[in-house]
Amino acid sequence: MINFSQVTKRYPGGHEALSGVNFTVEQGELVFLTGHSGAGKSTLLKLIAAIERPTSGVVSVSGQNVGRLPRRAIPYLRRNIGLVFQDHKLLFDRNVIENVLLPLDIAGLERREALKRARAVIDKVGLLAREKANPVSLSGGEQQRLCIARALVGRPALLLADEPTGNLDAGYAADIMSMFRDFHQVGTTLLIATHDDRAITALGGRMLRLDHGRVAETTSW
Amino acid sequence: MVGWLRHQKHALGSALRRLRAQPVTTLLTALAMGVAISLPSGLYLGLVNLSRLAGDLPAQPEISVFLDARVAAAQQSAIATRLKQPDIAAARFVSRDEALSDLIAAQDLGDVTTGLASNPLPDAWVVRPRDTTREAMMRIATELSALPGVAETHLDSQWADRLQAALALGRAGVALLAALFAIALVAISGNAIRALVLARRDEIQVSRLIGATDRYIRRPFLYLGALQGLLGGLAAGTVLAGAGLWLRTPVEHLSGLYGSSFHLLPPSATEIAVVLGLTTLFGWLGAWLSVTRSLRQVEAAP
Repeated sequence: MINFSQVTKRYPGGHEALSGVNFTVEQGELVFLTGHSGAGKSTLLKLIAAIERPTSGVVSVSGQNVGRLPRRAIPYLRRNIGLVFQDHKLLFDRNVIENVLLPLDIAGLERREALKRARAVIDKVGLLAREKANPVSLSGGEQQRLCIARALVGRPALLLADEPTGNLDAGYAADIMSMFRDFHQVGTTLLIATHDDRAITALGGRMLRLDHGRVAETTSW
Repeated sequence: MVGWLRHQKHALGSALRRLRAQPVTTLLTALAMGVAISLPSGLYLGLVNLSRLAGDLPAQPEISVFLDARVAAAQQSAIATRLKQPDIAAARFVSRDEALSDLIAAQDLGDVTTGLASNPLPDAWVVRPRDTTREAMMRIATELSALPGVAETHLDSQWADRLQAALALGRAGVALLAALFAIALVAISGNAIRALVLARRDEIQVSRLIGATDRYIRRPFLYLGALQGLLGGLAAGTVLAGAGLWLRTPVEHLSGLYGSSFHLLPPSATEIAVVLGLTTLFGWLGAWLSVTRSLRQVEAAP
């Protein structure tokens, strides 16, 4: 599903975030990306979602060379990728259900069907009782669950999560990781960048450790 | 098609919500646009009314042929024969008595003319040539002047020509002014939309990250610009209606003093539709230019 071939990313100013990275993620796989701060985890996720373009090498997602995708095609790629951010990126002038409806509005889904799907996914992340609440009134864990709901409502084949438990205490983090396990069990491909070693060992899957922009280690459980 | 319509409906709803959410800003923007539009529109209406006034004057250029006081019957007959030739479209004889009574009626000169010992006006023909070009008119006038029994000829269309030329100049001026104010309208709309785009930077970035196309992001702002333009057009209509009411009485009083029943006419339904359509279009255009430029600045941030 995802293939990196000799991928290098150099930012303006010369900083090389990734150097000659090679790896493959199969469909339905659960892969953790680990490594110290600045190892290149976030850059790697950005390359998959075409937020950044590689300086050299080929990033391929579902057979598409993402690095060469024309600008107008990028939104359609992103509609098939669920993105979960450490800082949630919620819209605070919209309530919970309106935040979750946003990807469906963008996709042009019929309103009744969109509401049905949004409520189902909000229920799945345990926020149905708060669907009219403003995200600002939610706890950090609830905000992260809302972000996950928004990422999943479009039923993406691939979910990318960048430090999804980074700002959460252990209890909330375990909840989020257990949610990811459930999604993985129904066939979603997950690529999660995290520092949370306990979550990795508890969930199983494969781990890619990045070190100074290179894949230093690959471990499977 | 259904999806496209759904997107349009969603964008229109979003634009209306944004207008309602900022009533003061909406009102001020509409007023700024309204004032900008009302100036060329008001001048245009003024010209339309002036043209109407000019239209009441002889539409066709005419030559007045004044006869000698002692014109002989044979000369009269020769002149009448000449005026039946094909280069003359119509000729009407105006006797000196008829001319005097017309003058008294039109200028209210009864008191002055009662003191006259005799009628000083000559008999005359009012002639409308078939070819009304200036050269043809001059040629016929010269030819008629040379006929025995003709004292003088006079081209009656000169001042009407001058008025028409002045109106044409006025129309060109209004067109130029309208073009300048259209640019102002685009700028006002663009500036208002730019501020909104920057205020919604986060929403735009998030929308891009979850798959929104630029077209999807741009659409509510375009509706917003078009709606602002429409409101600006309506504001201009209100300003002009107010000005029309304000000027109606003094204009009617002035025209009454000249013995005319002239009054100001409001714009026609077509003119209103054209102005509203143009303001909506310029509002949309301003929004398009602004949002396209602003979207380039608001890059999708991770």
